[in-house]
Amino acid sequence: MPRFHHICRALIPAVAIAMSVPATLAMPAAPAVAQDSALASDDGPGAGTLMLHGLHASETLPAVRLGTDMDVTVTGEIARVRVTQAFRNTSDKWMEATYLYPLPEDGAVDSLKMVVGQRDIIGHIEKREAARQMYETARANGQKAGLVEQQRPNMFTNSVANIGPGETVLVQIEYQAPVTATNGTFSLRLPLVVGPRYTPPHTLTSAAAVNDANAVTSAPVLDPALGAKLNPVSITVHLAPGFKVANLISRYHRVSVSGPGDDRTVRLLGPAPADRDFELDWRSASADPTVGLFSEHGTDGDYVMATITPPADLSKLTTPPREMVFVIDNSGSMGGDSMREAKASLVHALATLRPQDHFNIIRFDDTMTQLFDHSVAATPDQVALAKHYAEGLEADGGTEMLPALKAALTDAAASGGPDALRQVIFLTDGEISNEREMLAALGHDGGRSHVFFVGIGSAPNDYLMERMSTIGGGTYTHVGTPEEVAARMMPLLDVLDHPAMRDLKVSVSGGTLDLTPKRLPDIYAGRPLVLVGKTDHLAGTLTVSGTIGNKHWQRSVDLAKAQASSAVAKLWARRRISDIEADRTLGVIDDDKADAQIAEIGLASGIVTSQTSLVAIDETPTRPTGEGLTSEDLPINLPAGWDFGTLFGGKAGAAALRNADTMAARAAEQATGLDLPQTATDFAATIAQGLALLLIGLGGLFLLHRRRRGEA
Amino acid sequence: MAARALPKGRVFGRGLAATLLIALSLAGIARIAAGAIVPAKAVVAQILLEHAFDRSVARHHSVKPWPWADMAPVARISVSRLGVDRIVLDTGSGQAMAFGPTLLPAAARIGEPGTAVIAAHRDTHFRFLQHVRKGDVIVVEGVGGRTRRYVVTGAEIVRWDRFAIATGGGQQLALATCYPFGATRHGPSRYVVHAVRVGAKD
Repeated sequence: MPRFHHICRALIPAVAIAMSVPATLAMPAAPAVAQDSALASDDGPGAGTLMLHGLHASETLPAVRLGTDMDVTVTGEIARVRVTQAFRNTSDKWMEATYLYPLPEDGAVDSLKMVVGQRDIIGHIEKREAARQMYETARANGQKAGLVEQQRPNMFTNSVANIGPGETVLVQIEYQAPVTATNGTFSLRLPLVVGPRYTPPHTLTSAAAVNDANAVTSAPVLDPALGAKLNPVSITVHLAPGFKVANLISRYHRVSVSGPGDDRTVRLLGPAPADRDFELDWRSASADPTVGLFSEHGTDGDYVMATITPPADLSKLTTPPREMVFVIDNSGSMGGDSMREAKASLVHALATLRPQDHFNIIRFDDTMTQLFDHSVAATPDQVALAKHYAEGLEADGGTEMLPALKAALTDAAASGGPDALRQVIFLTDGEISNEREMLAALGHDGGRSHVFFVGIGSAPNDYLMERMSTIGGGTYTHVGTPEEVAARMMPLLDVLDHPAMRDLKVSVSGGTLDLTPKRLPDIYAGRPLVLVGKTDHLAGTLTVSGTIGNKHWQRSVDLAKAQASSAVAKLWARRRISDIEADRTLGVIDDDKADAQIAEIGLASGIVTSQTSLVAIDETPTRPTGEGLTSEDLPINLPAGWDFGTLFGGKAGAAALRNADTMAARAAEQATGLDLPQTATDFAATIAQGLALLLIGLGGLFLLHRRRRGEA
Repeated sequence: MAARALPKGRVFGRGLAATLLIALSLAGIARIAAGAIVPAKAVVAQILLEHAFDRSVARHHSVKPWPWADMAPVARISVSRLGVDRIVLDTGSGQAMAFGPTLLPAAARIGEPGTAVIAAHRDTHFRFLQHVRKGDVIVVEGVGGRTRRYVVTGAEIVRWDRFAIATGGGQQLALATCYPFGATRHGPSRYVVHAVRVGAKD
């Protein structure tokens, strides 16, 4: 019998990998795999009660297997992505599966299609509660149903109900996201796995807060000891940016490239497990790529997107004195490659300090240490001390980022002087669930500090770090592997060397334009400003101007010359929502009003938001009455380079991460508080005290005796 | 020099010093004894409790381990992977805890819906908790003769006054002791091992 199980275990990963091949995605019911009933995990004793799941591992393979295919078309500077998730039920039960997955934080999901056998069931947009209600009614009726909900701007869940034994249901969503352009390099980033999040216990003040935390931590992490990787992904990118492509690089995956220079097709070499983000970078073969200007004619007006980049040549600019506060995350989720990357990045940055700069280091997990009481002059001695300190850091414990942020923003004008350029540089994976609290704290206490983020690891929380650095007037840099520390840190250090552009202004002549973002971010040389606007009639000139160093800089584009793109209207909607969220975090509008405005935009544009979901329901029930339904949260892979031991390990790390489980979560559920008794006799200490007393006594007597003999 | 001039005072001083030192030594011995009696009591009490528990099982109700005891055994918990078993007492008083792990009266009873909480000292009966791993099976044998199995789902560290348990729902077990294990002083942290009942329908 045990041998039989071994064979099954060995078969399962093979089946899982085979599933992702697109050809097999459409195959009808696959042969049933022998199924251990233990594989179909139910929610256990907590089911039905409100309880924080917290971080948890899965030691068994799920009953429902997932394969994902991504088909990406890049036109100009916009990527349109079709994601097909195949949910295959390998058990003999009727299943409901929920999968938590990431999307780009500025992506807009606008389409849902569920494929059952030969039939397509088209989803439609509804208010979140209404969609959830429809889904649950259909689930109870035995109808097949699919639901796409946004949990965070970069984190979504797909739920599929009533997948029959041995059956496969395809769920296809489509979204679009802008391609980023920095220093002439265009970059497409497809996040593939959600890093396990830490929930600070103090945020769990209500049942709603517990529900919210549950939503982003529901997916168990598959124990790597199983030797299997789940959720295989195949990716095809059709790259037609409107110019001849050069320097095409896939950062973290092996790919094949075919087709002509201005219409490349990039494919993953075989399916890859969803355990790290996919990134594709390219440049233009010609020296100066066309200005990024796109427009869409909609029923309610014209939309335009303009990308404007200040010149990158900074060689003539001088660097003012700086006060740099480095904040490094050494929580459990950083264990493994991430900690090495963060340390190397920090050491790299420390090396650029000059004696006229001041600096400090703050490290945090669920505790926090400041290396110096306040920032000190960057003398060689202090820098050497800091380097030594950085190299000794080890990852463990929970991720309490808020106290570290507050400490870093505490601006003691004495250090560095009032004229110094104050820069706070975070090195973290951002794996927390209290993003909103962080953004609000930065919005209130930002002061004159510029906050930069270095996102560490194979699957960092882009949303948190992108928004934090935008609000904080800094930039976001991603370091994905230990090898690319130097290459990625160099452009950031360039940015840190120089202040942001001053007196940034955007104006439109010969027309009106409702522009997002409402608050212009700080921009730096070589870093683009992406503006999206709406107008009644597209005409006139858009001008961006400012001062770099002491030089005036200005750039104008003729809006009438924009290329047509069908994605701009939805990007505008997404941007408007970001503006509303920013207003919310800054306390400009209250929650109800923000939610209402977001819902309105979501319904009007047909995109998934925090207040609107896509739902698809099959009219005919398929699950026979009397057959039960088993629910399953599909496990996710541990992101590449993470250390499972540190994350779940025996030390305080695991305990701290799990703290959230009981403490506050249970305060919000139906539970009773219980004081735990004092449970240490400390007999060892008592014996030690006794021994000490005895030793002193005997020792004294011995000395006394010797002196007496000496005199005699 | 001055000492030589006052030999009598010196002899007196020496005598006093010797007396004090002897007193100090005796106090030390007393302290050692007070400390050493704790594990001794813990071990001996468990042996007596074993007998009481066996008699309790035979009679299907709790039997006091010694005539003047103010508590009685209610269950035997064991973790076979670690080769440990302990007799659990039915009161949460600090006194009873000297003799064995105790079932906290404020929490659920064993076998009831909700969470049963058993606490014991980290340096005697629950020293083994630090070695308990996720997936370990804890067998709980009641005086009624029924055996229940629980699987460890994880462990956590909480403040003693920040702990809460789910009321109702499935049968859960929490084993609590002080944390950290090697500490020499009392602290606010508690180490709690969580387990859920498996393989039962009652």
